[in-house]
Amino acid sequence: MMKSTGRIAFVPVVCAVLLLLGGSQVAYARIKLTTLPVRERVEIQLDNPNATLVEEERIVTLLEGTNHIDFSWSNTAIDKGTILFRVVDMPVRAKTKDDHPSVVRPDGNVEMIQVINVAYPPGENALVWEVFAEKPFAARVRISYLIQNLRRSFDYRAVAEHDESTLVLRKYIRLDNFSGEEFGASGIWAGFGNYFHREVGMNEAKQMLSWKFQDVPIKKTYTFDWWTGQQVPDEPEQRYVEMRYVLTNDKQHNMGEFPLQFGKVRIFQKDGRGGEAFIGEDWGQFTPIDDEMELYLGLARDVVVKRKISQNLRERVQHNLHHQDVVLQYTIENFKTDPVVLDIREDVWRLRDELCGGKDRAPELEIVREGTSLGADQIERKDSRTVEFHIPLEAAPKGEGKVEPLVATVHLYLRNEW
Amino acid sequence: MKTPRKALRFVLVVSALLALAATAQARNIDLTTVPPRESVQLTIYNSEDLTLVRETRSLSLKKGTNSIQYSWADTLIDPTSVEIRPLEKDDQIEVLDTTYPGDKPQHCIWNIESKIEGQVRFQVTYFTSGISWSADYVLITEPAETEMSFDGYVQIYNNSGEEYENAQVRLVVGVVNLVEKIQELARRGIIPMPAPGAPVSKGLRMRAMGGAVTEAEFKDELAERAPEIVKEGLSEYFIYTIEGAQTIPNQWSKRLVSFRARQVKFDILYRLRPHQYGDRPVRFFMLKNDEEHKLGTTPLPDGLVRTFRDNGRDGLCFLGQQQTKYVPIKEDIELNVGLDDEVVQELTCTSVLRQNFTFDHTPPVVVGWDEVYSWKEEIRNYKDKTVRMEVRHQIPGDIELEAEAARLHDYHTVEFTFDVKPREKFAWHYEYTQHQGSNAKQDRIRLK
Repeated sequence: MMKSTGRIAFVPVVCAVLLLLGGSQVAYARIKLTTLPVRERVEIQLDNPNATLVEEERIVTLLEGTNHIDFSWSNTAIDKGTILFRVVDMPVRAKTKDDHPSVVRPDGNVEMIQVINVAYPPGENALVWEVFAEKPFAARVRISYLIQNLRRSFDYRAVAEHDESTLVLRKYIRLDNFSGEEFGASGIWAGFGNYFHREVGMNEAKQMLSWKFQDVPIKKTYTFDWWTGQQVPDEPEQRYVEMRYVLTNDKQHNMGEFPLQFGKVRIFQKDGRGGEAFIGEDWGQFTPIDDEMELYLGLARDVVVKRKISQNLRERVQHNLHHQDVVLQYTIENFKTDPVVLDIREDVWRLRDELCGGKDRAPELEIVREGTSLGADQIERKDSRTVEFHIPLEAAPKGEGKVEPLVATVHLYLRNEW
Repeated sequence: MKTPRKALRFVLVVSALLALAATAQARNIDLTTVPPRESVQLTIYNSEDLTLVRETRSLSLKKGTNSIQYSWADTLIDPTSVEIRPLEKDDQIEVLDTTYPGDKPQHCIWNIESKIEGQVRFQVTYFTSGISWSADYVLITEPAETEMSFDGYVQIYNNSGEEYENAQVRLVVGVVNLVEKIQELARRGIIPMPAPGAPVSKGLRMRAMGGAVTEAEFKDELAERAPEIVKEGLSEYFIYTIEGAQTIPNQWSKRLVSFRARQVKFDILYRLRPHQYGDRPVRFFMLKNDEEHKLGTTPLPDGLVRTFRDNGRDGLCFLGQQQTKYVPIKEDIELNVGLDDEVVQELTCTSVLRQNFTFDHTPPVVVGWDEVYSWKEEIRNYKDKTVRMEVRHQIPGDIELEAEAARLHDYHTVEFTFDVKPREKFAWHYEYTQHQGSNAKQDRIRLK
């Protein structure tokens, strides 16, 4: 007998309902003389983020002539319109002159089993296939349908080496089955990564290791962003520096097998004594191949940055047209015992709006060499409104040595404002 | 178990009551014979809640005036549309009048004058609401996504309150005009009929045209195999006639195969249209409703298209579903199958410059200027085959654009089309000047 809970029932209905749609008043009695074919195979397709497709195969004994096959379900949200009935290894015969052209396949054969129609009874989660067989068959049929509340999600677990040079990233697929049906041993596929064969019980969540990336190099970043950074209490010129792991999804970084889907990433670090410490978690955004997944881990309080605008002049060009002559000054202290590279990010649009008033038009940025303490290779124009300064910081001196602040200045013009 | 509905009642009033016919006191009828329906044809329109029902019944007439009572309790029949006419000996039979008794809703009595005695076949026609149909399609591509099977279905829904046994079913594709909804007419009940010969509404005339059939078309045979659906054009409409007979009990629906096409070739096109599809490229399957694509025998009625891909592992992937519009023969079919994680697009504005300032007023202020935007756009194709990418950007204002391979889609939309090879990262650059303020003289893109 069928292994399922019976919520999805698949019933070849024999002669008692041959008149089902034939017009007799007793024809609608929905009398079922049943032999329930077991599920021979179940596949759960999770590759579509918006819909889960279930395919099941059963062997149905078809009599010669018209057969009625009843498919019903309860407490299960199956999209009725998506249910497909397909015969696997369809038996065929050569066409004859009596065959209508519409039933002849391109290869010249005629399929010996045909679905004539599907009838949907009122008020029931059920349908009845009317299937014509040219002779008796034990047909393997594949029924597929979209089902709700059988959902997938992705989780990641990263374990970084003690020196944070590399990490091991495990990608898990999580299957939550609240569909109201259990599926027994099922093939599970999410489009990328491993294929699974698991029992899927009702109201059960199952987490499976989809892929394991070894020795993934870590790029650890320290970012100061005046505009989005968290304010430091009582320090109006400061913002906290944020620390991130950046993983590049390419072959060079031992990944790049497939795009990384959105999911929570929990990050651990080996403590050097055989254990692991949890150091933070973040939502990993969808990351195509060759793109970077940025994981925000927390604040780096040992890197202190103060920012001030040390010059703000208006340089008249013509009539009311002017350039805004601005010098940004960053005072940086690294109290860490390791050298780091600090990334200072400036949103030029917001800077312009602060100094010149809000405008609809984009800012026109020019970085002036004179008065800028950074080299050209330390300045990166990300796009027309975002510029980043990359500043290497020495480790804090050991012993009683004092941390000397590093002062970086950037001289820029916000051109052609009015 | 639900007992099937038999709401329509057809009652032949026998001679004992002929004297009462003039006043049509139906409540006095007590001797009746109920002639069975010999055949019934449903012509179902999908643009309106409208079905034309034609049924044939044989009545035994006697010479003189015969009263025929017809009722349709608990149905959604438009009483203004109920008509009867003889299918034979019409030179000797005349429908004198139709009476709707005031004390009996959903009820009429025809007085029929006959010069002969005996059995005569009549046709009764009426409009009903509550029966509808829709089309849907199931597409399954090969794993390589070059060919697909394309199956069309029609699904018929019967919520009319009446069951129609062994009915010939015809489905009309096309938009008809109705001046009043059938459901409203059915709910409102009996209203005065138009005078004989008086023009009916434009909509009714159109419906009559759409439903015109000959008696020869009336077939009443049970299909032992999947019924073929015969398609034919008529005026601005297209009629699908389902071979054989169908019984669709009240409140049931039934889905039938309309056509099956195999080895249908198609192309794949990626489109980036942020204003239409969002910020990521969207994949389309492109084909035509024509013979070359194993289609083209009929227009495709609007309906839901569900697209699957054979995943090459003895299973399917669900790609997506979308409602399509009506597709005439030879028209393109474009199926949006959603995002593809292996095709990535990135657009970066690399710089903005302002120049060509114009001043006016006292004291002079900037009233016009040009902004020069530089862009880098990149497509990354991680698939194992070349993809064709069509990119459209809407750029408002007075624009002068300089780029290789750019073409104008319309006055404010520029289009680029590229083939991106497998595993290729393809980038291109372009620059445009946007005239602002008094410098803006037009609202269009000009290619330099």
